[in-house]
Amino acid sequence: MQPDRSTQQIAEEDQTRAQIYALLGRLLTSAPDADLLAKMAAFSGDESELGQALAALAATARKLDPARIRDEYQDVFIGVARGEVMPYASYYLTGFLHSKPLANLRGDMARLGIVRADGVPNPEDHIGSLCEMMAGLITGAFDAAADLPVQRRFFDAHIAPWALRFFADLEAAKNAVFYMPVAGLGRLFIDIEIQAFALVAQDQAA
Amino acid sequence: MTDNKTPKSPTRREFFKTAGLGAAAGAVAGLGAEPVPAQAADAVPESQGYRETEHVKRYYELSKF
Repeated sequence: MQPDRSTQQIAEEDQTRAQIYALLGRLLTSAPDADLLAKMAAFSGDESELGQALAALAATARKLDPARIRDEYQDVFIGVARGEVMPYASYYLTGFLHSKPLANLRGDMARLGIVRADGVPNPEDHIGSLCEMMAGLITGAFDAAADLPVQRRFFDAHIAPWALRFFADLEAAKNAVFYMPVAGLGRLFIDIEIQAFALVAQDQAA
Repeated sequence: MTDNKTPKSPTRREFFKTAGLGAAAGAVAGLGAEPVPAQAADAVPESQGYRETEHVKRYYELSKF
């Protein structure tokens, strides 16, 4: 393996994108522990919408303890029969779990050399897993070093068609207190990504 | 393997700046989520690609999340 994309070779904005994807991935696949919560409580933001979203997340992180957020995670994402939200591409795009969008994702994962671990209970089209995959594609950490066109195809195929609707639902979920500003950040960030990838498309067309 | 010589769109970089990503960098930098060094990828056999839990575990271990 070549010493391909080390820290220095990734543009600053791409590092930040990877960090936000990694954060969203982490928060959407499980409740944060005390350590992460303390780090989030220290976020500060500027006047931009994104800055405001980070500040809102920090304010909420300061108010809640990990046990409270674990309970909330259970109510919002898991529930008794089902959670308040269903964070799966397949569900949003077809109304069913485990349908065509999941099959398409598995095909793309195979092409990109991304393999699912044994023992992960969620289907791969979970929004948190997709965010983790985007973070990995951006940093190039997992053999699947992906330039912008590759990232864009993955994003356009598996995230863009439904993530904004999902985050809007999460933001509005009855039990979402911690997850409301998480959803706010997710919605804003995905919207920024949609616009930014549209610029890549223009460049490619040019 | 992709190298990073693909020219990045200046428009895109500008757009991210306008969108507040630069300022956000300061905030999330507190997470210490450094991109995973190359040896993390080396730890995974080429033929298998990455396995998600290993990826996640490794990523956050290195990120000091």
